[in-house]
Amino acid sequence: MNSDNLISILRFIFLLLLQSFLLSNINFFGFINPNLYLLFIIVYRLDCNPSVLIILGFLLGLLLDLLTQGSGGHTVATLTISFLRPYIAKFSFGINYKMPTAMLHRSFLSQRLLYLSLIIFFHHLILYSLIYFSFDNILTILKNTFFTSFFTFILVFFSMKLFKEKND
Amino acid sequence: MRQLINALLKYKHTLLYLGLLIISLIFLNYRSFYHQSIFSKTALAISSNFNSINQNISNYWNLAEINEKLLLENKKLKALELEAFNRQSKQKFSLNPYEFEVFTAKIIKNSYNEARNYLIIDKGYKDGIEVEMGVISSDGIVGIVNQVTSDFSSILSILHRDLKINAGFKKNGAYGSLFWQGNHPKKMKLLDVSTLNQVVVGDTIVTGGMSDYFPYGIPIGKVIGFEKPELEGYYDIDIELFSNLTQKEFVYVVKNKKIDQLKQLDNE
Repeated sequence: MNSDNLISILRFIFLLLLQSFLLSNINFFGFINPNLYLLFIIVYRLDCNPSVLIILGFLLGLLLDLLTQGSGGHTVATLTISFLRPYIAKFSFGINYKMPTAMLHRSFLSQRLLYLSLIIFFHHLILYSLIYFSFDNILTILKNTFFTSFFTFILVFFSMKLFKEKND
Repeated sequence: MRQLINALLKYKHTLLYLGLLIISLIFLNYRSFYHQSIFSKTALAISSNFNSINQNISNYWNLAEINEKLLLENKKLKALELEAFNRQSKQKFSLNPYEFEVFTAKIIKNSYNEARNYLIIDKGYKDGIEVEMGVISSDGIVGIVNQVTSDFSSILSILHRDLKINAGFKKNGAYGSLFWQGNHPKKMKLLDVSTLNQVVVGDTIVTGGMSDYFPYGIPIGKVIGFEKPELEGYYDIDIELFSNLTQKEFVYVVKNKKIDQLKQLDNE
Protein backbone atom coordinates (compact mmCIF):
# COMPACT_ATOMS: atom_id res chain seq x y z
CA MET A 1 0.00 0.00 0.00
CA ASN A 2 2.76 2.41 0.95
CA SER A 3 4.89 1.68 -2.07
CA ASP A 4 1.71 2.02 -4.15
CA ASN A 5 1.23 5.55 -2.85
CA LEU A 6 4.86 6.38 -3.43
CA ILE A 7 4.61 5.19 -7.04
CA SER A 8 1.50 7.30 -7.51
CA ILE A 9 3.22 10.41 -6.14
CA LEU A 10 6.27 9.86 -8.34
CA ARG A 11 4.04 9.25 -11.36
CA PHE A 12 2.08 12.44 -10.57
CA ILE A 13 5.24 14.56 -10.45
CA PHE A 14 6.85 12.91 -13.44
CA LEU A 15 3.78 13.25 -15.68
CA LEU A 16 3.21 16.85 -14.54
CA LEU A 17 6.78 17.89 -15.38
CA LEU A 18 6.85 15.91 -18.63
CA GLN A 19 3.57 17.50 -19.72
CA SER A 20 4.39 21.08 -18.83
CA PHE A 21 7.96 21.23 -20.08
CA LEU A 22 7.96 18.86 -23.02
CA LEU A 23 4.59 17.69 -24.33
CA SER A 24 2.83 21.06 -24.14
CA ASN A 25 5.48 22.50 -26.44
CA ILE A 26 5.35 19.93 -29.23
CA ASN A 27 2.89 21.76 -31.51
CA PHE A 28 2.64 18.88 -33.96
CA PHE A 29 1.03 20.22 -37.20
CA GLY A 30 0.94 23.56 -35.44
CA PHE A 31 -1.69 22.82 -32.83
CA ILE A 32 -1.51 19.25 -31.53
CA ASN A 33 -0.13 18.88 -28.01
CA PRO A 34 -0.88 15.38 -26.68
CA ASN A 35 -2.01 15.43 -23.06
CA LEU A 36 -0.22 12.40 -21.68
CA TYR A 37 -0.82 13.53 -18.09
CA LEU A 38 -4.30 11.94 -18.37
CA LEU A 39 -2.45 8.65 -17.91
CA PHE A 40 -2.39 9.46 -14.19
CA ILE A 41 -6.18 9.62 -13.99
CA ILE A 42 -6.56 6.57 -16.22
CA VAL A 43 -4.28 4.17 -14.36
CA TYR A 44 -4.98 5.43 -10.82
CA ARG A 45 -6.41 2.61 -8.68
CA LEU A 46 -9.94 1.86 -9.83
CA ASP A 47 -10.92 0.76 -6.31
CA CYS A 48 -9.80 4.03 -4.73
CA ASN A 49 -11.89 6.55 -2.80
CA PRO A 50 -13.53 8.83 -5.42
CA SER A 51 -12.93 11.94 -3.29
CA VAL A 52 -9.19 11.36 -3.30
CA LEU A 53 -9.20 11.08 -7.09
CA ILE A 54 -11.26 14.28 -7.43
CA ILE A 55 -8.81 16.21 -5.26
CA LEU A 56 -5.80 14.74 -7.12
CA GLY A 57 -7.38 15.60 -10.48
CA PHE A 58 -8.01 19.15 -9.35
CA LEU A 59 -4.41 19.53 -8.13
CA LEU A 60 -3.00 18.05 -11.33
CA GLY A 61 -4.97 20.43 -13.55
CA LEU A 62 -4.27 23.45 -11.35
CA LEU A 63 -0.52 22.85 -11.22
CA LEU A 64 -0.43 22.24 -14.96
CA ASP A 65 -2.29 25.48 -15.64
CA LEU A 66 0.07 27.39 -13.37
CA LEU A 67 3.17 25.86 -15.00
CA THR A 68 2.03 26.36 -18.59
CA GLN A 69 0.39 29.77 -18.06
CA GLY A 70 -2.92 28.25 -19.12
CA SER A 71 -6.19 30.03 -18.55
CA GLY A 72 -7.73 27.39 -16.26
CA GLY A 73 -9.18 25.00 -18.82
CA HIS A 74 -7.00 22.09 -17.68
CA THR A 75 -8.19 22.51 -14.10
CA VAL A 76 -11.88 22.24 -14.94
CA ALA A 77 -11.38 19.48 -17.52
CA THR A 78 -9.18 17.30 -15.31
CA LEU A 79 -11.41 17.86 -12.28
CA THR A 80 -14.51 16.91 -14.24
CA ILE A 81 -12.97 13.84 -15.79
CA SER A 82 -11.77 12.57 -12.40
CA PHE A 83 -15.30 13.07 -11.09
CA LEU A 84 -16.73 11.20 -14.08
CA ARG A 85 -14.17 8.38 -14.07
CA PRO A 86 -16.14 5.94 -11.84
CA TYR A 87 -19.17 6.32 -14.14
CA ILE A 88 -17.08 5.81 -17.27
CA ALA A 89 -15.37 2.78 -15.71
CA LYS A 90 -18.74 1.32 -14.75
CA PHE A 91 -20.02 1.89 -18.26
CA SER A 92 -16.94 0.30 -19.89
CA PHE A 93 -16.11 -2.60 -17.53
CA GLY A 94 -19.55 -3.44 -16.25
CA ILE A 95 -20.71 -3.78 -12.67
CA ASN A 96 -17.44 -5.22 -11.29
CA TYR A 97 -15.37 -2.25 -12.30
CA LYS A 98 -13.78 -1.73 -8.87
CA MET A 99 -10.68 -3.77 -9.48
CA PRO A 100 -7.01 -3.06 -8.75
CA THR A 101 -5.06 -1.38 -11.53
CA ALA A 102 -3.17 -4.57 -12.41
CA MET A 103 -6.45 -6.05 -13.54
CA LEU A 104 -6.79 -3.29 -16.07
CA HIS A 105 -4.36 -5.13 -18.31
CA ARG A 106 -6.28 -8.39 -18.09
CA SER A 107 -9.66 -6.97 -19.14
CA PHE A 108 -10.95 -7.33 -22.68
CA LEU A 109 -9.20 -5.16 -25.22
CA SER A 110 -12.50 -3.70 -26.43
CA GLN A 111 -13.45 -2.67 -22.86
CA ARG A 112 -10.06 -1.09 -22.32
CA LEU A 113 -10.25 0.82 -25.61
CA LEU A 114 -13.73 2.08 -24.76
CA TYR A 115 -12.59 3.23 -21.32
CA LEU A 116 -9.53 5.02 -22.72
CA SER A 117 -11.30 6.70 -25.58
CA LEU A 118 -14.25 7.89 -23.47
CA ILE A 119 -11.99 9.48 -20.85
CA ILE A 120 -9.70 11.06 -23.43
CA PHE A 121 -12.51 12.32 -25.67
CA PHE A 122 -14.56 13.89 -22.88
CA HIS A 123 -11.49 15.46 -21.36
CA HIS A 124 -10.52 17.18 -24.59
CA LEU A 125 -14.07 18.20 -25.39
CA ILE A 126 -14.37 19.96 -22.02
CA LEU A 127 -10.87 21.39 -22.29
CA TYR A 128 -11.31 22.99 -25.72
CA SER A 129 -14.89 24.09 -25.05
CA LEU A 130 -13.60 26.00 -22.04
CA ILE A 131 -10.58 27.44 -23.82
CA TYR A 132 -12.60 28.81 -26.74
CA PHE A 133 -15.87 29.23 -24.78
CA SER A 134 -18.08 30.39 -27.63
CA PHE A 135 -20.47 28.74 -30.08
CA ASP A 136 -18.86 30.54 -33.03
CA ASN A 137 -15.74 28.40 -32.61
CA ILE A 138 -17.54 25.06 -32.50
CA LEU A 139 -15.62 23.79 -35.56
CA THR A 140 -12.24 24.74 -34.11
CA ILE A 141 -13.24 23.06 -30.84
CA LEU A 142 -14.25 19.84 -32.59
CA LYS A 143 -11.17 19.83 -34.83
CA ASN A 144 -8.83 20.30 -31.86
CA THR A 145 -10.74 17.73 -29.82
CA PHE A 146 -10.57 15.01 -32.44
CA PHE A 147 -6.96 15.43 -33.49
CA THR A 148 -5.54 15.93 -30.02
CA SER A 149 -7.63 13.04 -28.65
CA PHE A 150 -6.29 10.80 -31.37
CA PHE A 151 -2.64 11.54 -30.62
CA THR A 152 -3.17 11.43 -26.86
CA PHE A 153 -4.88 8.09 -27.28
CA ILE A 154 -1.92 6.64 -29.16
CA LEU A 155 0.57 7.94 -26.59
CA VAL A 156 -1.48 6.74 -23.61
CA PHE A 157 -2.05 3.34 -25.16
CA PHE A 158 1.63 2.71 -25.78
CA SER A 159 2.68 4.16 -22.42
CA MET A 160 0.30 1.68 -20.74
CA LYS A 161 2.00 -1.15 -22.64
CA LEU A 162 5.35 0.09 -21.34
CA PHE A 163 4.11 0.27 -17.75
CA LYS A 164 2.72 -3.21 -18.05
CA GLU A 165 5.97 -4.68 -19.26
CA LYS A 166 7.80 -3.06 -16.38
CA ASN A 167 5.34 -4.57 -13.90
CA ASP A 168 5.60 -8.09 -15.23
CA MET B 1 -31.01 16.85 11.05
CA ARG B 2 -29.82 13.26 10.84
CA GLN B 3 -31.47 12.93 7.45
CA LEU B 4 -29.74 16.05 6.24
CA ILE B 5 -26.35 14.71 7.34
CA ASN B 6 -27.11 11.38 5.69
CA ALA B 7 -28.04 13.11 2.45
CA LEU B 8 -24.84 15.15 2.62
CA LEU B 9 -22.79 12.00 3.17
CA LYS B 10 -24.50 10.24 0.31
CA TYR B 11 -23.63 12.99 -2.14
CA LYS B 12 -20.25 13.92 -0.67
CA HIS B 13 -18.34 13.17 -3.88
CA THR B 14 -20.69 15.27 -5.96
CA LEU B 15 -20.56 18.08 -3.40
CA LEU B 16 -16.76 17.94 -3.33
CA TYR B 17 -16.74 18.06 -7.13
CA LEU B 18 -19.10 21.04 -7.25
CA GLY B 19 -17.07 22.86 -4.59
CA LEU B 20 -13.81 22.36 -6.48
CA LEU B 21 -15.55 23.24 -9.76
CA ILE B 22 -16.57 26.60 -8.32
CA ILE B 23 -13.00 27.18 -7.15
CA SER B 24 -11.65 26.37 -10.60
CA LEU B 25 -14.20 28.64 -12.28
CA ILE B 26 -13.07 31.45 -9.97
CA PHE B 27 -9.50 30.60 -10.98
CA LEU B 28 -10.53 30.71 -14.65
CA ASN B 29 -12.27 34.03 -14.11
CA TYR B 30 -9.15 35.39 -12.45
CA ARG B 31 -6.75 34.18 -15.17
CA SER B 32 -8.51 35.09 -18.42
CA PHE B 33 -10.04 38.38 -19.56
CA TYR B 34 -12.19 36.57 -22.09
CA HIS B 35 -13.89 34.28 -19.58
CA GLN B 36 -14.12 37.12 -17.11
CA SER B 37 -15.99 39.23 -19.62
CA ILE B 38 -18.41 36.42 -20.45
CA PHE B 39 -19.10 35.68 -16.79
CA SER B 40 -19.62 39.31 -15.95
CA LYS B 41 -21.86 39.78 -19.00
CA THR B 42 -24.09 36.93 -17.82
CA ALA B 43 -24.15 38.21 -14.27
CA LEU B 44 -24.91 41.69 -15.53
CA ALA B 45 -27.77 40.49 -17.71
CA ILE B 46 -29.39 38.74 -14.75
CA SER B 47 -28.90 41.49 -12.23
CA SER B 48 -29.82 44.33 -14.57
CA ASN B 49 -33.23 42.81 -15.24
CA PHE B 50 -33.98 42.74 -11.53
CA ASN B 51 -32.52 46.15 -10.92
CA SER B 52 -34.18 48.01 -13.76
CA ILE B 53 -37.66 47.79 -12.21
CA ASN B 54 -36.35 48.97 -8.91
CA GLN B 55 -34.40 51.74 -10.58
CA ASN B 56 -37.36 53.01 -12.57
CA ILE B 57 -39.41 53.59 -9.44
CA SER B 58 -36.68 55.34 -7.50
CA ASN B 59 -35.68 57.46 -10.50
CA TYR B 60 -39.12 58.97 -10.75
CA TRP B 61 -38.96 60.31 -7.21
CA ASN B 62 -35.49 61.78 -7.73
CA LEU B 63 -36.12 63.68 -10.97
CA ALA B 64 -35.68 67.13 -9.48
CA GLU B 65 -32.36 66.27 -7.91
CA ILE B 66 -31.16 64.65 -11.13
CA ASN B 67 -31.99 67.73 -13.14
CA GLU B 68 -29.86 69.84 -10.90
CA LYS B 69 -26.95 67.40 -11.14
CA LEU B 70 -27.18 67.37 -14.93
CA LEU B 71 -26.99 71.13 -15.06
CA LEU B 72 -23.83 71.11 -12.99
CA GLU B 73 -22.32 68.40 -15.16
CA ASN B 74 -23.16 70.27 -18.35
CA LYS B 75 -21.33 73.28 -17.04
CA LYS B 76 -18.26 71.23 -16.26
CA LEU B 77 -18.32 69.52 -19.67
CA LYS B 78 -18.57 72.83 -21.46
CA ALA B 79 -15.47 74.04 -19.65
CA LEU B 80 -13.63 70.85 -20.58
CA GLU B 81 -14.71 71.13 -24.19
CA LEU B 82 -13.33 74.63 -24.48
CA GLU B 83 -10.09 73.62 -22.86
CA ALA B 84 -9.69 70.64 -25.21
CA PHE B 85 -10.41 72.79 -28.23
CA ASN B 86 -7.75 75.29 -27.18
CA ARG B 87 -5.21 72.57 -26.67
CA GLN B 88 -5.95 70.95 -29.99
CA SER B 89 -5.46 74.12 -31.97
CA LYS B 90 -2.15 74.69 -30.22
CA GLN B 91 -0.94 71.17 -30.82
CA LYS B 92 -1.09 71.51 -34.59
CA PHE B 93 2.00 73.66 -34.53
CA SER B 94 3.98 71.53 -32.15
CA LEU B 95 6.60 69.35 -33.81
CA ASN B 96 6.68 66.49 -31.33
CA PRO B 97 3.32 65.98 -29.72
CA TYR B 98 4.17 62.48 -28.52
CA GLU B 99 6.09 61.91 -25.36
CA PHE B 100 7.26 58.33 -25.50
CA GLU B 101 10.22 56.75 -23.78
CA VAL B 102 11.76 53.64 -25.37
CA PHE B 103 13.40 50.59 -23.74
CA THR B 104 14.95 47.67 -25.63
CA ALA B 105 14.44 44.05 -24.58
CA LYS B 106 15.13 40.53 -25.76
CA ILE B 107 12.38 37.92 -26.14
CA ILE B 108 13.02 34.75 -24.14
CA LYS B 109 9.73 32.96 -24.74
CA ASN B 110 7.31 33.44 -27.58
CA SER B 111 4.09 31.53 -28.25
CA TYR B 112 2.03 31.98 -31.41
CA ASN B 113 -0.07 28.89 -31.95
CA GLU B 114 -2.62 29.10 -29.19
CA ALA B 115 -5.81 31.07 -28.90
CA ARG B 116 -4.22 33.44 -26.40
CA ASN B 117 -0.53 33.99 -26.90
CA TYR B 118 2.07 35.44 -24.56
CA LEU B 119 5.68 36.54 -24.78
CA ILE B 120 8.24 36.88 -22.03
CA ILE B 121 11.09 39.42 -22.21
CA ASP B 122 14.24 39.81 -20.15
CA LYS B 123 13.48 43.24 -18.67
CA GLY B 124 11.46 43.85 -15.52
CA TYR B 125 10.59 46.68 -13.16
CA LYS B 126 14.26 47.03 -12.26
CA ASP B 127 14.76 48.31 -15.81
CA GLY B 128 11.75 50.59 -15.68
CA ILE B 129 9.14 48.38 -17.36
CA GLU B 130 5.61 48.87 -16.08
CA VAL B 131 2.31 47.16 -16.66
CA GLU B 132 0.30 48.35 -19.71
CA MET B 133 3.25 49.69 -21.68
CA GLY B 134 3.13 49.07 -25.43
CA VAL B 135 5.65 46.73 -27.10
CA ILE B 136 6.76 47.29 -30.71
CA SER B 137 9.36 45.78 -32.99
CA SER B 138 11.35 47.18 -35.87
CA ASP B 139 8.53 46.50 -38.34
CA GLY B 140 5.28 46.53 -36.39
CA ILE B 141 3.61 46.19 -33.03
CA VAL B 142 4.02 43.17 -30.77
CA GLY B 143 1.70 43.55 -27.76
CA ILE B 144 1.07 45.10 -24.37
CA VAL B 145 2.91 44.41 -21.10
CA ASN B 146 0.73 42.33 -18.82
CA GLN B 147 2.75 41.36 -15.76
CA VAL B 148 6.10 42.53 -14.42
CA THR B 149 8.56 40.91 -12.05
CA SER B 150 11.92 42.34 -11.04
CA ASP B 151 13.79 40.92 -14.05
CA PHE B 152 11.14 39.70 -16.49
CA SER B 153 7.85 40.83 -17.98
CA SER B 154 5.11 38.94 -19.73
CA ILE B 155 3.43 40.48 -22.75
CA LEU B 156 -0.02 39.89 -24.19
CA SER B 157 0.78 39.28 -27.84
CA ILE B 158 -1.39 40.97 -30.47
CA LEU B 159 -2.04 37.34 -31.45
CA HIS B 160 -4.44 37.15 -28.49
CA ARG B 161 -8.12 36.68 -29.09
CA ASP B 162 -9.21 39.12 -26.37
CA LEU B 163 -7.02 42.04 -27.36
CA LYS B 164 -8.34 44.84 -29.55
CA ILE B 165 -6.09 47.58 -30.82
CA ASN B 166 -7.02 50.94 -32.28
CA ALA B 167 -5.64 51.11 -35.82
CA GLY B 168 -6.33 53.15 -38.92
CA PHE B 169 -5.48 53.88 -42.54
CA LYS B 170 -2.28 55.73 -43.23
CA LYS B 171 -3.76 57.63 -46.17
CA ASN B 172 -6.79 59.22 -44.53
CA GLY B 173 -6.78 58.33 -40.84
CA ALA B 174 -10.04 56.38 -40.92
CA TYR B 175 -9.82 54.10 -37.90
CA GLY B 176 -11.27 50.85 -36.58
CA SER B 177 -10.32 48.13 -34.15
CA LEU B 178 -7.79 45.48 -35.05
CA PHE B 179 -8.00 41.98 -33.61
CA TRP B 180 -6.80 38.44 -34.18
CA GLN B 181 -9.20 35.63 -34.96
CA GLY B 182 -6.88 32.89 -33.83
CA ASN B 183 -6.09 31.25 -37.15
CA HIS B 184 -2.90 32.40 -38.79
CA PRO B 185 -0.05 34.33 -37.13
CA LYS B 186 0.17 36.85 -40.02
CA LYS B 187 -3.52 37.55 -40.63
CA MET B 188 -5.71 39.88 -38.60
CA LYS B 189 -9.09 41.58 -38.97
CA LEU B 190 -9.87 45.29 -38.94
CA LEU B 191 -13.48 45.99 -38.03
CA ASP B 192 -15.62 49.06 -37.34
CA VAL B 193 -14.28 51.09 -40.27
CA SER B 194 -17.13 53.17 -41.64
CA THR B 195 -18.09 52.53 -45.29
CA LEU B 196 -17.94 56.29 -45.83
CA ASN B 197 -14.21 55.77 -46.39
CA GLN B 198 -12.72 54.30 -49.55
CA VAL B 199 -10.75 51.07 -49.07
CA VAL B 200 -8.37 49.64 -51.67
CA VAL B 201 -6.42 46.37 -51.49
CA GLY B 202 -2.83 47.21 -50.60
CA ASP B 203 -3.61 50.16 -48.31
CA THR B 204 -1.24 50.51 -45.36
CA ILE B 205 -2.61 50.19 -41.83
CA VAL B 206 -0.92 52.06 -38.98
CA THR B 207 -1.57 52.38 -35.25
CA GLY B 208 -4.30 54.87 -34.47
CA GLY B 209 -3.93 57.92 -32.29
CA MET B 210 -6.68 56.82 -29.94
CA SER B 211 -4.55 54.12 -28.33
CA ASP B 212 -2.91 55.02 -25.02
CA TYR B 213 -0.23 52.40 -25.50
CA PHE B 214 1.29 53.02 -28.92
CA PRO B 215 2.53 56.17 -30.65
CA TYR B 216 0.50 57.19 -33.68
CA GLY B 217 1.59 55.97 -37.10
CA ILE B 218 3.53 52.75 -36.55
CA PRO B 219 2.98 50.61 -39.67
CA ILE B 220 1.18 47.35 -38.90
CA GLY B 221 0.20 45.71 -42.17
CA LYS B 222 -1.59 46.01 -45.45
CA VAL B 223 -5.11 45.28 -46.69
CA ILE B 224 -5.37 41.98 -48.56
CA GLY B 225 -9.12 41.79 -48.91
CA PHE B 226 -12.32 43.36 -47.64
CA GLU B 227 -16.05 42.91 -47.64
CA LYS B 228 -18.44 45.79 -48.00
CA PRO B 229 -21.86 44.99 -46.57
CA GLU B 230 -24.85 46.30 -48.49
CA LEU B 231 -26.83 47.56 -45.53
CA GLU B 232 -24.63 47.93 -42.49
CA GLY B 233 -22.18 50.78 -42.33
CA TYR B 234 -18.92 48.99 -41.50
CA TYR B 235 -16.30 47.14 -43.53
CA ASP B 236 -14.91 43.74 -42.67
CA ILE B 237 -11.24 44.01 -43.68
CA ASP B 238 -8.54 41.32 -43.80
CA ILE B 239 -5.04 42.50 -42.91
CA GLU B 240 -1.68 40.89 -43.48
CA LEU B 241 0.92 41.91 -40.92
CA PHE B 242 4.28 43.27 -42.06
CA SER B 243 6.10 41.67 -39.18
CA ASN B 244 6.47 37.96 -38.67
CA LEU B 245 5.78 37.44 -34.98
CA THR B 246 6.99 33.86 -35.12
CA GLN B 247 10.61 34.88 -35.60
CA LYS B 248 11.20 37.93 -33.44
CA GLU B 249 14.18 38.34 -31.19
CA PHE B 250 14.39 41.94 -30.01
CA VAL B 251 11.57 44.32 -29.17
CA TYR B 252 11.16 47.87 -27.94
CA VAL B 253 8.96 48.71 -24.98
CA VAL B 254 7.45 52.18 -25.27
CA LYS B 255 6.27 54.16 -22.28
CA ASN B 256 3.68 56.86 -22.74
CA LYS B 257 4.91 59.48 -20.29
CA LYS B 258 1.53 61.13 -20.15
CA ILE B 259 -0.56 58.02 -19.62
CA ASP B 260 -1.37 59.04 -16.05
CA GLN B 261 -2.94 62.24 -17.25
CA LEU B 262 -4.84 60.43 -20.00
CA LYS B 263 -6.17 57.89 -17.51
CA GLN B 264 -7.17 60.63 -15.13
CA LEU B 265 -9.16 62.29 -17.89
CA ASP B 266 -10.77 58.99 -18.77
CA ASN B 267 -11.89 58.47 -15.21
CA GLU B 268 -13.36 61.91 -14.77
